[in-house]
Amino acid sequence: MSVRRLPVYIAIDTSGSMRGEPIESVNVGLQAMLQAMRQDPYALESVYLSVFTYDIEVKELFSLTPLEDVQMPIISCPQSGPTHLGEVLKRIVERFDGDIKASNTEGKGDWRPMLFVMTDGVPSDIQLFNTMVPEIKRRAFASVIACAAGPKAKTEYLKKFANQVVSLDTTDSAAFAAFFKWVSSSIAAGSASSGVSTEKADVLPPPPDKIQIVL
Amino acid sequence: MVMTRVRRAHSEDGKAFEFEETMIGSGGMKDVYFSMDGQNAVAFYRAALDATAMERINILTGRYKERIFEQDGGDYWKNLLCWPTHVVKDEQDGRVGIVMPKYQTHFFFEHGSFNNDVLGICGKEKEGKWYASPRNRFKFLATNERGNWLSYLRICILIARAAKRLHAAGLAHSDLSYKNVLVDPVGGNACIIDIDGLVVPGRFPPDVIGTPDFIAPEVIKTQNLQRDDPKRFLPSIDTDRYALAVLIYIYMFLRHPLKGKKIHDIDDVDRDEQLSMGEKALFVEHHSDSSNRIDKKILRPEETFWGDTNKLPYTIAGPYLAKLFEQAFIDGLHFPEARPSADEWEQALIKTVDLVQPCANKSCEQGWYVFDNSTRPKCPFCGTPHKGKLPILNLYSSRDGADFMPDNHRLMVYTNQALFPWHVNRLIVPNERMTDAQKERVGYFVLHDQRWLLVNENMLGLTDMTTKQAITIGEHIELKDGSQLLLSKENGGRLVVVQMVTAR
Repeated sequence: MSVRRLPVYIAIDTSGSMRGEPIESVNVGLQAMLQAMRQDPYALESVYLSVFTYDIEVKELFSLTPLEDVQMPIISCPQSGPTHLGEVLKRIVERFDGDIKASNTEGKGDWRPMLFVMTDGVPSDIQLFNTMVPEIKRRAFASVIACAAGPKAKTEYLKKFANQVVSLDTTDSAAFAAFFKWVSSSIAAGSASSGVSTEKADVLPPPPDKIQIVL
Repeated sequence: MVMTRVRRAHSEDGKAFEFEETMIGSGGMKDVYFSMDGQNAVAFYRAALDATAMERINILTGRYKERIFEQDGGDYWKNLLCWPTHVVKDEQDGRVGIVMPKYQTHFFFEHGSFNNDVLGICGKEKEGKWYASPRNRFKFLATNERGNWLSYLRICILIARAAKRLHAAGLAHSDLSYKNVLVDPVGGNACIIDIDGLVVPGRFPPDVIGTPDFIAPEVIKTQNLQRDDPKRFLPSIDTDRYALAVLIYIYMFLRHPLKGKKIHDIDDVDRDEQLSMGEKALFVEHHSDSSNRIDKKILRPEETFWGDTNKLPYTIAGPYLAKLFEQAFIDGLHFPEARPSADEWEQALIKTVDLVQPCANKSCEQGWYVFDNSTRPKCPFCGTPHKGKLPILNLYSSRDGADFMPDNHRLMVYTNQALFPWHVNRLIVPNERMTDAQKERVGYFVLHDQRWLLVNENMLGLTDMTTKQAITIGEHIELKDGSQLLLSKENGGRLVVVQMVTAR
């Protein structure tokens, strides 16, 4: 009893270049991910989800919410706009510090959170981004996974803060569907059998064909 | 129209299998497809198998399959163990796979979740986890998917029996968990799946250490040692026994036996979890050490009822199971050899079925409960007291034909409760080896005009020992406090002594 929470943060790039098919595909992918996670009794019981979007402005669509209560809004993009990746990482770091419960007399603490960051470009706020990289690394995330979507996304920035970078060749619906499916199975992996090997690298399931692992 | 493309695979002995190209699911190591005949599923390993792994699946589909299934009564196990039947190779890409029977239809949700299946799980597998916590079972599942307490008692019997069969063959499952056991509370069915990872001690070492919540403390405690370190514990029959005990406890009480309030590392959650499930594991209901009790104030609303170990202690499962829970989670928690065997669990669960009473409250969700040996029996789930006279039969049997000794076995009587051959004779054990004749009822009980009657349907030697009068087939006898009935004159025949509890 007294199940620990598994906090999951997702940050979605809504800069101008995501307008049109890419963002529509993300919306479909997020809905499908939510549905898949709700069909997993393990995730349903432990996962708390929070989703951010970022362009010139960072929006927290909802703070950590039990899976069953999540209402996923439709995400839209501005006409044009920069990619404030540094800003969204800053907000997530703040949230991490405020949200994540440590064990204390009030009960067992949370599982180490997971963070998924998706972008189709490069950070526009490079100075802030560089400041936030060590901050993210200092927080005890169980895993930080970055997704470079489409040909213009630069993985070198993502490698700086993520312990795994995956890249999608395209930003169409098939690519995002595969990615979000992979996200939900990564989250469910905590309930799966653990290997005998003493290395801890084998926690994530292998990504589907459409995704390339960069690291 | 969407055309399903067909792919082919064949086994070493040349048997061909056609399967659908669309993958229906994938697990940690395998991708699964349905076969075209609708009977089987084919699971292909994503990575190439080493020689040991190949040998293991060959032996499982060969010698071990024969040993368990191709004997008298072997068909019985087809319901309980989803056993791989063939090793095959994909004709296109050469991947190695195993063919298994498709899960039976009762292991897929018919109604799914609440509110007309708002989660969309109809048609999905009944993974055990759905039934393993109060929130999943009572908040998310549709009412008619949940079953009652008796359903879980039956499910536990089947799981224990299946584990017993594996252990009797010298095999350890190595990853028993609510993920690898399908359960069907509606029909009272259970089936162990993912059998290809079986461990043969000394021959085929385990691939996995298990699934969180079910990994034995000694395995967790030593998981960071090298694989060949002599101090390292890996999955074995002993650790299966731990996982089995956890499964049974969870299905009966909807809480984990080790997940209480005690914190071992305030800063590092992973280490805290490792200690509380491993080296420092402590039963939440330990008699003398209460430091890991479940903290009621942090429970979510649906959890408060099942999380209250004062109101719903493990002892509500009755004396036979209570003893085994103590053995598993107190004596044997850190001493693997002290854990009850699967066979002991099966026996105790079966005897417990004889202790249950239907709850008088028709809307009680659990429906059944174990008699608490008091003069004020009441349902622990809804609090409804039992009304009226409650006959209890205490079973005795003789080893020498003269003295009858207590069998530590009781049978609670209720309307339409039945006597079976295994009540009548100590030498008949209710398990998979029973003949069809032994499954037939030989008598039943009925409350008639405020008198409890036993109707003899098929007991040749039924005798009232107080009057020495025979009760022939078709006749009945009234149950009275202190009356002694001999059920059979054969070797192993039982004598019952009636106790009448008048519930106050």
